[in-house]
Amino acid sequence: MDQKILKKDQIGKLYNELVGEYDFYAPINKKGNIAFEKIENPEDIVLDYLNSKIPPKSVLFPQNEVLFEYTLDEKDVEITDRQDLEQKILIFGIRPCDAYSFELFANFFSFHGDWKDDIYLKKKENTTLIGIGCNTPRTTCFCTSVNGNPFKKDNMDVFLTDLGDTYLVEGISDKGKGMVQKLSWLSDASKDDLKKAEELAKIAEESITTKIDVDTVVKNLETCFEHPVWDEISESCIGCGSCAYFCPTCTCFDVIDETDHYNNRGRRIRIWDTCQSCLYTLETSGHNPRDTKIQRCRNRIMHKFSYYPTNYDLLGCVGCGRCVYVCPANNDLRVILDKINKIEEKEDEKVVA
Amino acid sequence: MGIETDNKEIISSIRENAKWLLSENQVDVIIGYSEGTVPLSSTPIIIRKEEDVDKLIWNNLCYINLARYLAPLMPQLCDSEGNSLKIGIVAKGCVGRAVNLLAVEKQVNLDNIKMIGFNCNGIVNRSKIDLEIGEKEILDVSISGDDIIVKGHDWEKKFPYDQYINELCKVCQIKSPSATDANCVGECQELESIHDEFSDIAEFESKSADEKWAYIKDALQVCTLCYSCRQACPMCYCNLCFVDQNMPTWFGKTTQFTDIFTFHLIRAQHLAGRCVACGACSSVCPVGIDLNIITRKLEKIAKERFDYTSGLNAETIPPMMDFKMEDEEEFMLEED
Repeated sequence: MDQKILKKDQIGKLYNELVGEYDFYAPINKKGNIAFEKIENPEDIVLDYLNSKIPPKSVLFPQNEVLFEYTLDEKDVEITDRQDLEQKILIFGIRPCDAYSFELFANFFSFHGDWKDDIYLKKKENTTLIGIGCNTPRTTCFCTSVNGNPFKKDNMDVFLTDLGDTYLVEGISDKGKGMVQKLSWLSDASKDDLKKAEELAKIAEESITTKIDVDTVVKNLETCFEHPVWDEISESCIGCGSCAYFCPTCTCFDVIDETDHYNNRGRRIRIWDTCQSCLYTLETSGHNPRDTKIQRCRNRIMHKFSYYPTNYDLLGCVGCGRCVYVCPANNDLRVILDKINKIEEKEDEKVVA
Repeated sequence: MGIETDNKEIISSIRENAKWLLSENQVDVIIGYSEGTVPLSSTPIIIRKEEDVDKLIWNNLCYINLARYLAPLMPQLCDSEGNSLKIGIVAKGCVGRAVNLLAVEKQVNLDNIKMIGFNCNGIVNRSKIDLEIGEKEILDVSISGDDIIVKGHDWEKKFPYDQYINELCKVCQIKSPSATDANCVGECQELESIHDEFSDIAEFESKSADEKWAYIKDALQVCTLCYSCRQACPMCYCNLCFVDQNMPTWFGKTTQFTDIFTFHLIRAQHLAGRCVACGACSSVCPVGIDLNIITRKLEKIAKERFDYTSGLNAETIPPMMDFKMEDEEEFMLEED
C-alpha cells in the first residue's frame, strides 16, 4: 500500500532517519518570518504555516551562491569547481505552488536545452521533495487560476496531508514511493484517512475565490505594450525589489567577483537581481533601455504573463500571492491583472461612446 | 472622542480640502492614500478629478511617506508638454517635514506644492501585530474606539491603539505639517523648535557596546537586501545609491552580515539629522526590521549639538550639509 500515516510526534524520527543521507531543509520561524533552512534540530520545523515568507527557491537558488573559487598567480588562473553538488537534498514541507515553481526553474536553467546551468540542474536532480497540501490557502492565493491547486501532487516525490493529529503520507514519484517503502515503521492509512484527505483537498480548492482570467491577460498583453494602462499600474510602485525577491519564480541573478588581492584568490558569486532595479538594464555605455519605473513595472508583468508563455508555453506565475502581501505600496498583482483584462472592454466603451 | 472619531473627521477634512484645491484650480493632481486591498495596508493614489476625492482615506495604516512621490527618483508629474504640474499632497506631520527638507535640499519647488495638512494620530505597527498573530491569516483590521481590531477566519483580537503604534509615533511631536498657510491648507503649525527628551531610546543607549552590537546583529539576520527601506524613504533620493555603484564596487552585495550591516549603517549615516522620523522604512520592511533607534540617536545628536530638528521649515540647512565657524570641535583629537 502506498498510503501511510505519520504521527505528528514522529517528525523527529523521520528527520533522524533521513538526515544522514540528505541535507534536510524545512520551514522554520525566523523572527516571525517562515523560511526554509537546513535543519539542525527537528523541533524547529514548522508545518502548520500559511506559506513561507521567503520562497524555498532559496534552497536550490540561494540569494548568494559561489559558482567557483579561483587562485591567481602571475601567469595562471586555477579554478576550483563546486565539490558539493552530489550531496542529496531533501526539501520537507514544501507547498504545491512552490514545488511547481521548480518546474519553471528547470526551463529557465536549461534554456530549451541549448544551454544548461549545471549547478542548478545537478542540485535539482539530487533533490527530493516531501510536500504538504495547503489546508487553508490565503485569500491572496490564486493557484487554481494558473494551473495549480492547493493539493497538486504532480511535482512532489512524497505528498503529505495534514489530517489533524496525523499526516497522510503518499509516495508520488518512483523515488518517493521507494522512500515511503523504506520507512517501514509508518502505519497503513485507513479508508477513512483517505476520505478525509479528499474532503480537505476539496474544501481547500473551493476556498480559493480569487479567479483570474489568465487567457485574456496573455492575449491582451500581446497588443498592449504601449498602452497607457502601464502609467496607472506603475503609479504607486516605489521601485523596491520585494515582489521579485519574494517571488518563487523569479530567477534573475547578477554575477560578481570577490577578489582577495592580498592572497591572490577569489570567488565568483551569483546573487539575486531584479528587473525592478534601474541598474538591471544599465549598459556600459550609460544607455538604459529600461530607464523608467513604468518600463520596469511592465517588464515584470510581461515576463511572467507574456514572455514565459511565448518561450516555454507556461505561465511564469504560480499564484502564491506573495507579491500581493509583501508589496510596500500595496500594488496588488490581482488588481494589475484585472486592469489588463479590462483593456479591451474600455476600448469598446469608447467606440460606443 | 477616540481614534475612530478622529479618523472620520480627518477623512472629511482631507476630502473637503482636496475638492476645494481641485475646483479652484489651485492644484492639478492630489497625492493621497486610498483603501488597501489586503489588511494592514493602504495604497498611495494620485487623483486628478474632483469626483475622485472620495477615494481618499485616512486609517492609521497610511504608512507610506507620500513625499516619496515628489523626490527626483520618481517620475515627475508633468503635463503633456513637460511642464511641472501643481501638486496637492495629503500631509501628516512627517510628510510635511519631508516636503520642507526636500525644498531645503532644492529637490522640490514649494511654489508647485500645496499640502493638505491634518493632525496625524499615528501609524499602526504592522510588523508587531503580524508577529503576534503568527501563522494565521489576518482578514480585516479596523479601528474601533481606541482599539485596533484584528479579525481572522474564526477569531478576533483586540490591540490597545496607544501600545501598538510605531515607536516613532509614540514620541512624535510634529503631528501636522510645520508650514504657513501659503503652502498648506487644513491643519498646519509654525514650529521653530521642539522639546524632545528622546526617552524612547534611553534604554538602548544604556546598553553596553556588545549588547548594542548583538541587538543590531540579531535584528538584521533576516534582511534580504530588497531595499524597500531605501525606496520608501523620502530622503533617500540619490541618482545612484552608494550600494549600487559598481565602477568601482564600494561594498559587497551578498547577504553576508558584513554586507548587510554596511548597507544599513551607511544608510543611517546618510540620514544623520535628515531623517524625518516617519517610520516608513520599518513599516514597509517585508521581514519586519525596525532599526529606527539608530536614526533616532542621530536625530538626538543633531538636536543636542546643533539644536536642529529636520523639516521644521523650508530654509534651515541640515547641520551635516552646513558649516559654521562657531561650531564646536571638541571631539577633534589634538595633534600633539
